[in-house]
Amino acid sequence: MNNLLSAGLILLLGFVGARLLKYVRLPSVTAFLLVGILIGPHVFNLVTEEIFAGADFFTNLVLGIIAFSLGENFRFDKIKEGMKQVIWISIIAALGAWVLVSAALIIYFVIIKLPLYPALVLGAAASATAPAATVLVIREYRSTGYVTELLLKVVAIDDAWCLIFAAMAIAFGNAMRAEVFDMVIIFAGLGEIFGAIIVGALLGYITSFFSRFVTTRDELIILILGFILLNVGLSIAFKLSVLLSSMTMGLMVINRARENYKFFEELRSVDAPLYLVFFILSGAHLDFGILYNMGIVGILYVLFRIIGKVYGAKIGAKISSAPKPAENWLGLALTPQAGVALGIGLVAKSTFPDYGNFIFTIIAATTVIFELFGPLLTKYSLQKAGEIAATE
Amino acid sequence: MLLQNSILGLAIIVVAGYAGAKILHKINFPAVTAYLLIGILIGPRLLNFIPVQLINASDFISNFVLGIIAFMLGTHFTLKDLKAAGKPVIWISVLEAGFAWAIVTVIMILYLILNHLPIHPAFVLGAAASATAPAATVMIIREFRARGPVTNMLLRVVALDDAWCLIFSAFAITIASAISVGFFTAGVILEAFLEIIAAVVLGGLVGLALHFIARFVTTKDELLTVTAGFILLSVGLSITFHVSPLLTNMALGLIIANISKERTIFFDTLGRVDPVLFLSFFVLVGANLEISMIPRIGLVGILYIIFRVIGKFIGVKLGAALSHAEKNIGQYLAWGLVPQAGVALGVALIAKELYPKYGEFIFTTITATTVIYELIGPLCAKYGLQKAGEI
Repeated sequence: MNNLLSAGLILLLGFVGARLLKYVRLPSVTAFLLVGILIGPHVFNLVTEEIFAGADFFTNLVLGIIAFSLGENFRFDKIKEGMKQVIWISIIAALGAWVLVSAALIIYFVIIKLPLYPALVLGAAASATAPAATVLVIREYRSTGYVTELLLKVVAIDDAWCLIFAAMAIAFGNAMRAEVFDMVIIFAGLGEIFGAIIVGALLGYITSFFSRFVTTRDELIILILGFILLNVGLSIAFKLSVLLSSMTMGLMVINRARENYKFFEELRSVDAPLYLVFFILSGAHLDFGILYNMGIVGILYVLFRIIGKVYGAKIGAKISSAPKPAENWLGLALTPQAGVALGIGLVAKSTFPDYGNFIFTIIAATTVIFELFGPLLTKYSLQKAGEIAATE
Repeated sequence: MLLQNSILGLAIIVVAGYAGAKILHKINFPAVTAYLLIGILIGPRLLNFIPVQLINASDFISNFVLGIIAFMLGTHFTLKDLKAAGKPVIWISVLEAGFAWAIVTVIMILYLILNHLPIHPAFVLGAAASATAPAATVMIIREFRARGPVTNMLLRVVALDDAWCLIFSAFAITIASAISVGFFTAGVILEAFLEIIAAVVLGGLVGLALHFIARFVTTKDELLTVTAGFILLSVGLSITFHVSPLLTNMALGLIIANISKERTIFFDTLGRVDPVLFLSFFVLVGANLEISMIPRIGLVGILYIIFRVIGKFIGVKLGAALSHAEKNIGQYLAWGLVPQAGVALGVALIAKELYPKYGEFIFTTITATTVIYELIGPLCAKYGLQKAGEI
């Protein structure tokens, strides 16, 4: 098996898998993950080591592209519409997941006599939503309407809240363990957000500046991919949030000049195979063995994260007087969980020598569940909200 | 170098390549040359901006890109076109490759005799001289939107000449072995023919599969995925079976061109992404160029460079005259055949294995001349097409 053969098989089996599962109305994202599990190292082992190791590269590239595209939804001339709803719903849905998961786990940890701070960190991880799966479901079913638009914006900014919550949770965790409260961690969290916004805005500005030199369509795709890569690469180098910096870059690009929409259009025409590879590699990396270690903590996490998101979004929608379908269905569409939560798990692992590993295991295990079922729930809720055509 | 981050490395490749092409465009340099120069500049021998992981990925990208180019070349062989242009294509390609081989071989034999060296390396050097690198020429045609009879003929000749090169190399290695060990075996020649047939069969089968699967494709996104997937599959299989990836993918393109009603959709869909792939490919080629070899080029290298080009020019002229092709074709087509790259290097690698004693000499000559040809080749191709009035 050489790398090219393996790459060819990934693309073709992904296509075939998505086709077949269409008959049972499963979204392509789910099909890609399942194909990834099948051709991954645990089953048929058709992915070469080099490509398997390239998953990191693809994850960052794809998240950069997705977040950049999400930035397109924040056009300043239209931003007044629905911004109130976006802020309220995103904050309260994220907060709801954090508070409920933390509360449920605190009660459980008190009963089984464990320290309480892991509950706070796990709750913070629960607040994030994975944008990639959500965006792909919307695209595949050509979902359009108020809830969809709201969802795209909420998904875009809820990572910022999650980063703040996570920084607070880790600071509290440290305080509870060592009885010192370290404000530096919270500042570092805020710094990560502002740093990402500054880098993204700068790169967006530069991209827009260079767009005047573009003369052919070929150059359009070269320029935009080059600068997205640069933005992602710099964010990684400075340890900033790739998602937030790329989103800010997209926001900057779309607002600097009207004709910059071409960049987004051009990206959309080429990004499909990248998403496919990304999800298949994610599937290949999914570790089912970890599910055995999930236990009651994992079950509580899954349950209360969903409840927190659903009711958080409901309350947010009520406060901001959003339309009924948004109130009823937006929360459920926010269930996918992936990289951001895992990132928090990794930080916990390196910060807390005693329970860091436990935190990471729970997040990794629940991510397996949410990766597989999240896209289905997103599709279901958009269907219920009436924004996916009945024929799908 | 500080770069461990392969995303940042790729970003530098793309952005620097783009900027380089933009700047050199002002002095009328083709983008390919700009990419190669940028590659040399940021490559491991100078600024060393490219992370090791990406240098290691060069092989993957180059095979993929050559697969795409060969596929595209294959789509230029429809039966209808061949009926009209078949004769000149065969004559020109066989003669330009043959003359490059013959003339370089003769000159090299003379040189080796004068230096009291054994003559068998000359045959292999000649065979390497017969190949043409398609990528640079195709890029020039794309960048300057060249079209016309010379361009069309050039695309076909470039495609076919790799097959001749394979056959010539087999003959050359057979003759060289016969001379050096006094032992003649036709096995190598038979193998070369088998390799060509196997490549065509493999590409044809993959083409049939693509044609079959394509009927299930409903969206543009899926079309891109499927086309890229089949090209990768075909390159991957050809590597597994040790047959020429270029010929395999040409056969894939050829089958699609002849059985599919919408033969251009596959290539058009790739056209949206491939600018980035081509750019990365050429920057990485530049980064991998052995520029340190240039001083070691020697008299052999200079003779090789000059007489390979002379051979190509005579061959084209003769082929065009014999097949009554248009006058412009005989006059200007050879300019597009100057680039030399992977196929020649492949021949050199085989020689290195076969004759450890003189293989190094052959290998050095080929790598050093490849550097020169890579840099001047695109300029020559552009010049020829301009003269022919097709740019």
